[in-house]
Amino acid sequence: METKEFVLVRDLLRSFAARFRVGSADDVKPSAGAAAQEALGELGLGELRRSTPPAATVQECALLAEEHGGLPLPTSLLGTVLLAPELLRLLGAPAAPGGTPTIALARDLRFPDASPSPLVAWDSEGADEALCVHPDGTVTAVGLGQAAPSVDLLRAIRTAGPARRVVGRLTLAGQRHWQAYALVVVAAELMGAARSFVGQSVAYARERSQYGRPVGSFQAVQHLLADATVQVEACASATRYAAWCLDHESPERALVAARVAKAEVNRSAVEAVYAGMQVFGGIAQTWEHVAHLYLRKVRVGATVLATTADLLTALAEPEPAAVAVVEAVR
Amino acid sequence: MSDVPLDFGDPADLNRLRTEFRAWLAEHPLPERHLDEPAPVFLLRWHQLLHSGGWVGLDVPERYGGRGLTALHQVAISDELGACRAPGVPRIGYLAHALLEFGSEEQRLRMLPRMLAGDDVWCQGFSEPGAGSDLAGMSTFAERRGDHYLVRGQKLWTSYAQYSGLCLLLARTDRTGSPHRSITAFALPLDRAGVTVRPLRAANGDDEFCELFLDDVRVEESERVGAEGDGWPLAMTTVSYERNALDTGHLSKYGLLVERLRSAARLRADPLPDGLRSEIGQCYVDYEVLVAHARRRTAERLSGQAAGPESSIDKLLMTRAEQRLYETALKVFPEQLAEDGGEIFGEYLYSRAASVYGGTSQIQRNIIAKRVLHLPSSGQS
Repeated sequence: METKEFVLVRDLLRSFAARFRVGSADDVKPSAGAAAQEALGELGLGELRRSTPPAATVQECALLAEEHGGLPLPTSLLGTVLLAPELLRLLGAPAAPGGTPTIALARDLRFPDASPSPLVAWDSEGADEALCVHPDGTVTAVGLGQAAPSVDLLRAIRTAGPARRVVGRLTLAGQRHWQAYALVVVAAELMGAARSFVGQSVAYARERSQYGRPVGSFQAVQHLLADATVQVEACASATRYAAWCLDHESPERALVAARVAKAEVNRSAVEAVYAGMQVFGGIAQTWEHVAHLYLRKVRVGATVLATTADLLTALAEPEPAAVAVVEAVR
Repeated sequence: MSDVPLDFGDPADLNRLRTEFRAWLAEHPLPERHLDEPAPVFLLRWHQLLHSGGWVGLDVPERYGGRGLTALHQVAISDELGACRAPGVPRIGYLAHALLEFGSEEQRLRMLPRMLAGDDVWCQGFSEPGAGSDLAGMSTFAERRGDHYLVRGQKLWTSYAQYSGLCLLLARTDRTGSPHRSITAFALPLDRAGVTVRPLRAANGDDEFCELFLDDVRVEESERVGAEGDGWPLAMTTVSYERNALDTGHLSKYGLLVERLRSAARLRADPLPDGLRSEIGQCYVDYEVLVAHARRRTAERLSGQAAGPESSIDKLLMTRAEQRLYETALKVFPEQLAEDGGEIFGEYLYSRAASVYGGTSQIQRNIIAKRVLHLPSSGQS
């Protein structure tokens, strides 16, 4: 879309976030989550990736995910608005008859693999079913069971029931695109959370006074925040570039860039939140403070879709398919 | 950072340039390095060959000898050189930016085409024995004498001065004013009477570093770059660009080594321990993040944002990538530790300088804290 149009959409989401952000963990209640999800639904963002070509680029979707991560929100922007609609678009499938879908992941929150382990519906606020991409590219819709426990208090997860129906099947290129897209959108939200939290800790360092001067004037604190800033900006560059690759490059190239982005975020978003918490000091150790909501989100997020171990092992060698494609182009 | 979408370039347009460059490379292979030929001399021959094909200064306007394209095109060329294992682009980007921004039109027309062509080789006379991290505390003085200046002082870490014809020199022109407003830049020919260049042997055995002694050296007013007192902003512009892995040509060098490590991970007969495999993966992540970051900076510059204090973030990311990369390379190729003189071990030693040159990592953190995050001053600075 035009920049002007994108700014309107982004500001819409920004006002929504300011209104429905939770002030502390005590505000995380099922009723509040449902009300916020309903208001999110009214923004109509679910159509952004439903048409072909899509109304929003992946870079724009990543920016919206980043925005959503910035404040503690109990809503499912990723699962129901950005991820499941993209999957249906890739399959050329009509709107799901089951209602609003989110996506299904393995119980350990990674991409589902060939093992028969039970699935969960991830980011399931407001969802009626979940779409599961199997390793062979087959996509099935599964029903939802009861709420599943998670330490990320802002992210609703439910157990998944047996497959209801086959929705379609992704090509190999489609699977790569899907994995890259999911990695980028999740990485963008986690990066948004880390960036926002570091920003809050910088503001706090300017105000909080000890020894008669702002703690942000101490070089030890300054260097901690400078390092956190470097980590956040590394996440931002990697995520933004991977999103752009999805819009403009081959799915192979985009998948490499997306894995790189998720690996950077797995490491650096968590480190940056640690630094922010250190600057907040004792106050950030309380239940009331939002710090642990951010920490829970990024720490669990580092295991979602692909762990650091998964990614670094995959990236340690040149990908045979990618090598072949590069050679073919040359 | 902009919170609206960035334009990372038109892949079709860049691919056309890449194809054109690959065709040229196929006809102009990398020259052989002569036995005992010093690296800067060999690299200068390569620079001149690249220039003969029109592949230097792609983002410099045509009237100054460039191609009038964008930094994105320069990135694409840098990528291609890395992919074919050739030395990177000549490291002149940051000097060219200083002249473009601060030189007079006459100076730009006279100096830039010769710099791009490799007819003039430049070095950078900034640091001094008593002015390292505290660069503004320099004491080299240029005394005004009517239509010229007399310069007296000493510079240090003046890389490759013995192979250079010109030096972008900083000197104080006012003994009383604030340090940041009393520094002036000059384009000094190194064959001028009173200039002595003395190479210093570095830890890796190279003679990259030099000392520069300036003993009442006459410098003409026409050789002053910018106005009196413009030296500090000029230096900040130069180092801002110098802190970007792309402008210094380091990116393609890292890319080559990281691919060597990844190939080793695939091909080695004896399996790598798991920890080392993920360390190689981490090197690849660091490198690709640096590539993404350089492209993002390029896209931001094209959208109208000038290089500023956030270049300190770039420098810290570059240092992170380089130091981990060479540390890991020594683990993958342990034979490098058996005998002195190995190429990778030499570059490993040089990688330890990454957190010192162009402003130490601690100075970069100070800059981020003060000028990017606007944290309160400590009062001690």
